[in-house]
Amino acid sequence: MSLNLLKLFEKACFIRAFELEIARQCDAGEVPGLAHLSTGTEVADAALAATLDPTIDKVTGSHRSHGLTLAVGAGHVKVASEILGRVGGLSGGMAGTQHLIAPEAGFLTSNGIVGAQVPLAAGAALTAKTMKTGGVGVAVFGDGAANQGAVLETMNLAVALALPMVFALYNNGVAQTTGAAFASGSDSFTERAASFGLEVFAADSCDIDRFGDALEQAAASARAFKPALIEVSVGRNDGHYYGELQTSTDNKNEGDAIRALKAKLLEDGVDQLACEQAQSEAKNRAHAAVVAALTEPRAGRAQLQHWVSIAEGRA
Amino acid sequence: MSSGKMTMAAALNQALHHAMAADDKVICIGEDIVGGAGIEGAPPGGGVFGVTQGLAETYGLSRIIDTPISETAFVGMAVGSAMTGLKPVVEIMFNDFIGVCFDQILNQAAKARFLSNGRMNLPLVIRTTMGAGDGSGAMHSASLHGLLASVAGLTVACPSTPADAAGMLKTALKSNGTTVMMEHKQLYGTLGDVDPLLPEVPFGKARTVVEGSDITVVAVAAMAVEAELAAGLLAQSSISAEVIDPRTVKPLDVASIVASVRKTGRLLVVDEGAAFAGFADAVISVVTEQAFGSLATAPRKLCPPDTPVPYAPGAESIWLPTSADIVKAVQDMMEV
Repeated sequence: MSLNLLKLFEKACFIRAFELEIARQCDAGEVPGLAHLSTGTEVADAALAATLDPTIDKVTGSHRSHGLTLAVGAGHVKVASEILGRVGGLSGGMAGTQHLIAPEAGFLTSNGIVGAQVPLAAGAALTAKTMKTGGVGVAVFGDGAANQGAVLETMNLAVALALPMVFALYNNGVAQTTGAAFASGSDSFTERAASFGLEVFAADSCDIDRFGDALEQAAASARAFKPALIEVSVGRNDGHYYGELQTSTDNKNEGDAIRALKAKLLEDGVDQLACEQAQSEAKNRAHAAVVAALTEPRAGRAQLQHWVSIAEGRA
Repeated sequence: MSSGKMTMAAALNQALHHAMAADDKVICIGEDIVGGAGIEGAPPGGGVFGVTQGLAETYGLSRIIDTPISETAFVGMAVGSAMTGLKPVVEIMFNDFIGVCFDQILNQAAKARFLSNGRMNLPLVIRTTMGAGDGSGAMHSASLHGLLASVAGLTVACPSTPADAAGMLKTALKSNGTTVMMEHKQLYGTLGDVDPLLPEVPFGKARTVVEGSDITVVAVAAMAVEAELAAGLLAQSSISAEVIDPRTVKPLDVASIVASVRKTGRLLVVDEGAAFAGFADAVISVVTEQAFGSLATAPRKLCPPDTPVPYAPGAESIWLPTSADIVKAVQDMMEV
């Protein structure tokens, strides 16, 4: 496994700190609508991004993609600004929390429609195959999306067309308020995927060694035109959306992947102080990004005029 | 080179050949567009209506891609490939099937340029068929151009001639956004004059099919052909109808339609689409807003009844507006 675990830890801590800053802005009334926080997926997001080649690989994500967008390299202030509906945001305030898009970082879409991002990643895989870039298309989706026709159709299509594609299934056990065990007709997502002909891998984001290996194997398989699915267990620490407390998976303690990664670093001989310093720097950088975003003007009439010009083919 | 006669299917096929020869990034995706995939000895069919004939032989199976019957997955794949540098032409065999994959059109293709704030281009062409008249019944015959045109971010083209079909397909392939090409099934075999170079036809520019002074008749696709026939019949009774084919439902050439109505004082919209909240209502609405003072009589529409397309030939032919229906409607309006 070639992941740099300290860097991974720094990135995961940054995402956690960023999300807690966003939660504070939710409390302050600065976040329009509901925010689906990535608390619980930080290690998965960071490890996935670290496995990919940002120059050739493309990623699509779900409605819960703050962490993924940050992990693949979108500007922190731009992500924060977009979530806050400010003019300096990734999309000037048009898109918001559920539709973060950073094509410059290889991040094609996050999506308000559960599962809809998955066929789009197949398109990125088709482009990579057609233009012989060596890249892969990666669709990140949840256990809820795993029951969508769009996802199941795309599993079959990816195998039928031998697309260089990775299906990254983040299993947090709950779709909105409905348990995966209730919603799924079969016990195993990997068995289901294997029946389509996908190469399958399973891992827990709390076990970084095995998870990192599985990610590398899944990506390598896809690059060899054998599309793969990797199912990874993640948390959903703050419920379906921030403020929805009934269905948080409440694994902030022993089940938390950041905590597990820190324990692993210490076990590997990394200095406790270095870990704490990384955490504290992450908090400072996240705070600075959100404070910078708050200085941006709120999107309004000028942005609306720009979007109308897109509709009319003038932009 | 001089113009020659060509069917709409052949003109579209030629336009695809031109586009694929000119640009390696142009690919075609759809069901049975090569035909016979995985069946030993089966001859390639080149699509249900032959529009993709010969492309696989020339450009290879990596660029002409037959798919499983999974419209959501393969239309979504086309959208994603357009986001990442290809210029896909994806075929939805009948426009009725759009219901199967509408999310990928409504939420993904149509919104991507907005949600990326214009940073992302989406040079996607969705080719599909529309229209009744061949006994295909309720789920292979609808005309959903008005429905699609109501979605912000989509261009909707409804050609009525072979030259317009080929020219608008070429324009669509040069566009930054998503274009839905609605090809009328009853027009595939229609011959028309076509410049062999297949010049591009701009979006949002109507074609005046027949010049006239008494009434403006607006229609697209097969109804534009019926309206042209009707104008000939009306001329025999000294009624001068001006027939305008907007060619693209969206963007709509409002200026040309309004200018014509200011001249004639009357508007009839003939359309095969929805009887309520469809293309005809949209045209009447904009003309009423912009040229109310020029109207000598209330604008009218001639649409099929508000039912699915009937299967039985006798019922289907009554359901569809014809040139005779148009003549009668115009005569009624001229008496007011």
